[in-house]
Amino acid sequence: METADAVVIGGGVIGTSVAYRLAKERKVILLERKEIGGQTSGNCDKAIILQSKKPGFPIKLAKASRRIYDQLEEELETSIEYNKNGGMILIEKEEHLNFMKKFVDRQNKAGLRVKLIDAKEAKAFQPYLSDNLVGATYSTEDAEVNPLLLTQAFSRAARRSGVDIRLYTEVVGIDCQNGRVVGVKTDRGYISTELVINAAGPFAGEIAEMVGVPLTIIPRRGVILISEKVPPMIHGNILCSQYIAAKHQSEEYGKAPPFGIGLSLGQTDSGNLLIGGSREFTGYNKEINPELLASIASHAIRMVPSLGNVQIIRSMIGFRPFTGNGLPIIDEVPGVQGFVIAAGHEGDGIALAPITGILVASLVAGESNYKDLLEPLKLKTE
Amino acid sequence: MQNTIVCRCEEVKLGEIISSIESGATTLRAIKVVTRAGMGICQGRTCRPLIEDCLSKTIKQDSNDVQQLNFGNPIRPIRLSELANTRKG
Ligand SMILES: Cc1cc2nc3c(=O)[nH]c(=O)nc-3n(C[C@H](O)[C@H](O)[C@H](O)COP(=O)(O)OP(=O)(O)OC[C@H]3O[C@@H](n4cnc5c(N)ncnc54)[C@H](O)[C@@H]3O)c2cc1C
Repeated sequence: METADAVVIGGGVIGTSVAYRLAKERKVILLERKEIGGQTSGNCDKAIILQSKKPGFPIKLAKASRRIYDQLEEELETSIEYNKNGGMILIEKEEHLNFMKKFVDRQNKAGLRVKLIDAKEAKAFQPYLSDNLVGATYSTEDAEVNPLLLTQAFSRAARRSGVDIRLYTEVVGIDCQNGRVVGVKTDRGYISTELVINAAGPFAGEIAEMVGVPLTIIPRRGVILISEKVPPMIHGNILCSQYIAAKHQSEEYGKAPPFGIGLSLGQTDSGNLLIGGSREFTGYNKEINPELLASIASHAIRMVPSLGNVQIIRSMIGFRPFTGNGLPIIDEVPGVQGFVIAAGHEGDGIALAPITGILVASLVAGESNYKDLLEPLKLKTE
Repeated sequence: MQNTIVCRCEEVKLGEIISSIESGATTLRAIKVVTRAGMGICQGRTCRPLIEDCLSKTIKQDSNDVQQLNFGNPIRPIRLSELANTRKG
């Protein structure tokens, strides 16, 4: 019978990052029912943005991940188009100025360098911005990365370290005996193992169900428009204050807009603009209401008028794995020894992928060096 | 032959397509993700038949079995301002 020291379920950015770290000391098999990076991790933006996170623990976690990025290209031996170009949140309405001021104050207290700048300063940095903005916040700590390259880089590095990556292999069941994992059933056979990492992103709930654990991770849909290649016009990431309102969905940050529309704008090294985005709970529905595309378009043009002239070549739909509290779950499930969840990164999985791999490796090795980061990510059971 | 351009929009050569298939990309989507073929302005309208052919020859699979690339809407390139104007009211 086939055996492995660990089986990782899911070949997205999280599963590949985890498999890479675990491979250092184990025989690891990674199972992916489709392609590497073909789901959420291939249908998303490229922002490693710190200033959009809630002040407090979320910032601390994001900073820990961001630090790993500084050496990651060297470590993975390839370019992932990692750029420290900073990020900006545009403020369009006077009424948003107040909560953004408070947001910035709290970010600064949390140790993040962000400052409020006026519309003129913002335009000096991003010349294509509209003249009608009231200001922006700017942070040099934000960065960007190509998520497709990142996932492939983790997967290739994992393979070099001996991980057996099996595509088109679907997990259909998990075998438990006396409260511990003993094997994984796939549509291509059985693998005997005592350690399973559930890195199935938005589908992690279905995997948890296989061991009888209720796990509420639901898909929060996002749509992004992609333009033809154009000469450089956007530096780093641009979000808007309405994005913060949509993301955190709390009155404190203003009212959530229809379709959860909020600007997210970036440009890839090859010149394509990524123009987003939306946040909706519509299951895995892939039908897009034309009104939704039109709203993304008009919102983007209001902030950056010259975008009106670019040609859109396609749209992407991704499903953020939403947990409800803005944080992923990284934990061994109590009562099911050997079943570890590393999922639910919602809109931050690209930013958090590097630290997630390290946290899982530390957790399964029973080390205590990352206790402060792991504690708040525990699975909450009522 | 290896240097023949298959995807003109993204300038992807035949050799790159074949080596992606050989290293495990066995669907159009996987080839696209690895090589960028089909990600350009025409969205694979020109290169798709070529890649399908290449795939079916390399892995000896009938091209009808090969998973189709999906065309994200809009169907043709459209200016962002036109897209914004499709909004009702
Ligand atoms: C529109 C949008 C924009 C975003 N922008 C950003 C951003 O700018 N910055 C950022 O940090 N994050 C961003 N995100 C979030 C980020 O994309 C996700 O958090 C991240 O990709 C999640 O990765 P994952 O590996 O957990 O999930 P996935 O990439 O979905 O991987 C899970 C994998 O598990 C596989 N799987 C599922 N079930 C099974 C099974 N039974 N057997 C085998 N395999 C299985 C799936 O096929 C899939 O490949 C964005 C997301 C969206 C949708």
